[in-house]
Amino acid sequence: MKTLAFDTSNTQLSISIDADNQQLASFFSDEKKTHSVTLLPAIKQCLQEANLDIKDIDEIIVAQGPGSFTGVRIAVTTAKTLAWTLDVDLKGVSSLALIASNIKDEDKIIVPYFDARRSNVFAGAYQLVDGKLIECVADGHYVIDDLIEKLQELENEVVFVGPEIEELTTKANTKLTKVEFSSDNDPDAHNLVKLAEQVQPVEDIDAFIPTYLRYTKAEYDWLKTKHKADDDGYVQRV
Amino acid sequence: MKDTLILAFESSCDETSVAVIKNGKEILSNIIATQIKSHQRFGGVVPEVASRHHVEQITVCTDLALKEAKVTYDDLDAVAVTYGPGLVGSLLIGIMAAKSIAFAHSLPLIKVNHLAGHIYAANLVSDLQYPFMSLIVSGGHTEIVKVSAPGEFERLGDTRDDAVGEAFDKIGRVLGLKYPAGKQIDEMAQLGKDTFNFPRAMLQEDNLDFSFSGLKSAFINTVHHADQIGEELDKNDLATSFQECVIDILTEKTFRALKDNPVKQLVVAGGVAANSGLKKRFTDEIKKRNLDLELIVPPIRLCGDNAAMIGAAAQVEFEKGNFADLDLNADPSLDL
Repeated sequence: MKTLAFDTSNTQLSISIDADNQQLASFFSDEKKTHSVTLLPAIKQCLQEANLDIKDIDEIIVAQGPGSFTGVRIAVTTAKTLAWTLDVDLKGVSSLALIASNIKDEDKIIVPYFDARRSNVFAGAYQLVDGKLIECVADGHYVIDDLIEKLQELENEVVFVGPEIEELTTKANTKLTKVEFSSDNDPDAHNLVKLAEQVQPVEDIDAFIPTYLRYTKAEYDWLKTKHKADDDGYVQRV
Repeated sequence: MKDTLILAFESSCDETSVAVIKNGKEILSNIIATQIKSHQRFGGVVPEVASRHHVEQITVCTDLALKEAKVTYDDLDAVAVTYGPGLVGSLLIGIMAAKSIAFAHSLPLIKVNHLAGHIYAANLVSDLQYPFMSLIVSGGHTEIVKVSAPGEFERLGDTRDDAVGEAFDKIGRVLGLKYPAGKQIDEMAQLGKDTFNFPRAMLQEDNLDFSFSGLKSAFINTVHHADQIGEELDKNDLATSFQECVIDILTEKTFRALKDNPVKQLVVAGGVAANSGLKKRFTDEIKKRNLDLELIVPPIRLCGDNAAMIGAAAQVEFEKGNFADLDLNADPSLDL
């Protein structure tokens, strides 16, 4: 079983090619380069290093979000198009779970987060049980205060993993009893392979979209003022 | 000579489109998914919403395009994609999909300028003879472009402010019309009279550039003034007065360009080319001026954004051997 896994949810780019869980090639960059420029040449380079052709790949695994809207769209569009055109399996994994998998501590609640600005984060809470990540607070777009409140209810030691946000650090230190902060927040696409073992392949590749976890401002305002969400019929073939 | 089959992608604004084009001339398929109904909620295109819809549509449209054309990847000679100008988030979806398919099937990749696409839509309905003149009129562009040889463009005139289609949408909002307003204004304009005599901007100036913001302001001021004094204005007359003004400016500047650069063909392309008043005026004026000039206005389906026109423009680059690499990026403010 040969897999191609990648993540472009944030500024980092991570790619891994594996055969039966053994890594054959990888690529990592945290330079502020454009993922749209780098992704496919880097995949091509990894395949060459692994001595494989893209047509040898049996499964594509992608970090599906949340994250930068443009970032997750680049990964998801590339993953779904490749899986569709090569007629191979596609799996989507939470971009937050991918970061959580950097922490190998079974005793603490692992809280991966991304900065969503203005006192907001994309975050989730996970627990590592027998080597598997179990979600205990669903991935979401949270006001920092609300996230901390949810973590208080869990009454457990917490380890945050993400970029430094002063407000989060201060509030977590004040309100949570035992808390640690890890800056080990570089995604490693190799971990996607293991995480994907818990995930079923996507049944309808056409319908596969990023996990944005947030409406656009225009949609949010539109829903708030006068409308009900009905996702049907906005796009029509003519 | 062997036929050339190109799979083309267009996603620069609010249409996801995928087409298969033979020899830059024949449309084997041209699938278009429009997001108009979605953006009508907001009164105009919201870029982030547009990008999201493109992701939902991209493989569906590609699948339909290949099936309708009855071709497989083995039949294809290249994959083409619009890389600008347009909304960056929208462009990127077509680009990533096109690059993925080109890479997966070892096909050459061709990058296409969206404006070249609009011009080469004409090649799908007529045989282009170089040099020819083109007027691109759409929601994002108002340009006079001379095409001296295949893929060789010279921009002679451009808008200094609003694009003409943008002006239609903005005054449409003042008239209480739904976005996009072009078609409705065109219909209303058939019923009214040019009574308001709005300013014909830049006609006095000795250049081929356009400006529509003054017209837009004059229009809005007229309507607001009437509202304040409680006067009811005839909406059809307003529409006619606006449209006649726009047509005067567009045709006058185009004929000036033609006078300095005599050619045998005039291509009018882009979404606003679907305007019936504009087409009629060009036809009438060519006759009146006794010009030996073929007017080419592609049918409505090929005037709006579509991938067939991208496939037609890509054929030119294919024949020149101009191919792009997998590091192709979007260029939202690309010029011709």
